[in-house]
Amino acid sequence: MVDFAGKAEPGTTKKYKTGTWRTYKPILDKEACIGCEKCWEYCPDSCKIETEYDGDIIFDTDLDYCKGCGICAEECPVEAIEMELDEK
Amino acid sequence: MKEIRIHGRGGQGSVTAAELLSESAFEDGLEAQAFPAFGVERRGAPVKAFARIDDEPIRIRSQIYEPSHVIVQDPTLIGTIDVTKGILDGGMIIINTSRNPDQLDLNTQAEVVTIDATKLALDILGKPIMNTALLGAFSGATGIVSIEAMKNRVKARFPGEIGEKNALVMDKAKEKMEE
Ligand code: SF4
Ligand code: SF4
Repeated sequence: MVDFAGKAEPGTTKKYKTGTWRTYKPILDKEACIGCEKCWEYCPDSCKIETEYDGDIIFDTDLDYCKGCGICAEECPVEAIEMELDEK
Repeated sequence: MKEIRIHGRGGQGSVTAAELLSESAFEDGLEAQAFPAFGVERRGAPVKAFARIDDEPIRIRSQIYEPSHVIVQDPTLIGTIDVTKGILDGGMIIINTSRNPDQLDLNTQAEVVTIDATKLALDILGKPIMNTALLGAFSGATGIVSIEAMKNRVKARFPGEIGEKNALVMDKAKEKMEE
């Protein structure tokens, strides 16, 4: 047995939760979101998730990976996303 | 000899902090050295930097395994790596967090000091660059390096407004330690 070598499994990036790096986090106003998908398109970390809210489709954030860049808040046409200091 | 280990993430300026710390000690007439631990060099990856300060010439060149002081730039590292590793009894850990020491789950005999350095940096610099705040806190909490020397070094490294603002951050952080 070799105990100095390692094997990388596929899909390990998923386990690497990069969300802890952020300074700000996006807060979604679920009522205001019109489900336009803009934030989903622009998010560089692919962490917008389609969810259902009150029978409508909205896009919330997977905070395990969101790095708080604020692009989604910038792009949202109805200003449904606000960036808030993520206290740690 | 004081041995300081700084934990941060790539991009947070851990190495710069170690350098400023040792340069300041040098300006105070002490002997000093600073060096990084090379690891995965990418933004966000955990990184370490070290500084040694003494009033005698420093001959040792190894990494620091038993620090007297630890500075933690990013509290989310606490769950990932053991920031208390090797710390001497009677040592001190300074952590950037909005929480109080008793709200942190740290198994250590060392004194734990916290400061919301990110907030201080955001308030004054407008950017979450918190290493100068932590240096000010280090000066305030330990007195090992004078705040004057630190402010001089930061102003020399970042001339103009940025240096001035960082010097102000250092002053405020030191004040917070003395509260
Ligand atoms: S802040 Fe940036 S990383 Fe986070 S959800 Fe918005 S676009 Fe994605
Ligand atoms: S851009 Fe705004 S309105 Fe469109 S889906 Fe995202 S949060 Fe909802």
